[in-house]
Amino acid sequence: MSGALAERVFAEKLERAGFEDVWVGGHRSYGIEDAARYPLFTPELIEVMKRTISPERRDHVATGVIVKARKPV
Amino acid sequence: MAREPATRDLMFQDEIKDTVRRAYAAIETGGGETVARRLYSEDELAEVPPGAVEWALGVGNPVRYALLQPGETVLDIGSGGGIDTILAARMVGPEGAAIGLDVVDAMLERARIHVTEAGVAGSAEFIRGEMEDIPLPDGSVDVVISNGVLNLSARKSRALAEIFRVLGPGGRISLADLTVEGELPPEVANDQSAWAG
Repeated sequence: MSGALAERVFAEKLERAGFEDVWVGGHRSYGIEDAARYPLFTPELIEVMKRTISPERRDHVATGVIVKARKPV
Repeated sequence: MAREPATRDLMFQDEIKDTVRRAYAAIETGGGETVARRLYSEDELAEVPPGAVEWALGVGNPVRYALLQPGETVLDIGSGGGIDTILAARMVGPEGAAIGLDVVDAMLERARIHVTEAGVAGSAEFIRGEMEDIPLPDGSVDVVISNGVLNLSARKSRALAEIFRVLGPGGRISLADLTVEGELPPEVANDQSAWAG
């Protein structure tokens, strides 16, 4: 999660790489409880997230997206 | 006056790569049915063996959006337990190919077992390699998919350049990934395990 980009930055990086027709959709919220379902989030990290992330953001810390694009012909 | 290193609490690219690799090598299970049922339909889950469901670690369903066609060659970057590679292999069929790429040997071994159990070993193969240095020729694939993987790279521009290189003209990507708007608390952002999670 620490390496996740903002959606706009993600799209810009794709365009700079040469892709066209960049599309971002399929948005899905990921909160702390969602993260806890993944074994890669250690219990210690989940505790840090609960302690430091504001209550209004705990159900939407990150967003799962689908990013589509095409290499020019 | 001695200057504090500006990067004292930041991680370097190699540290991030090692942290991610060690974290994925160390886990003993994936997200399991709880994660898989959030991302895949009943019909899709019926097409993959239980082991692949158990090792689901993605954040979306890139195969559903990839509009794969029979005969296409698809590359699954960070293929993990193989759930998306299996679904892709079914869609491209015996005339096509689904190639899973991962850096973790244990994941590659699991995925090979799962594609055999799924009955798609004839159209799926797995190779070891990094997304920033994909061991495939230029223009050799039609579609690139990945699921919760690009955010793990400390060299995203390099990874995207590699994806662009291996795609043929008109090639497509369908990447599921996490995005974050705004800053994470420094206690979270600087936690090593937050790079793998």
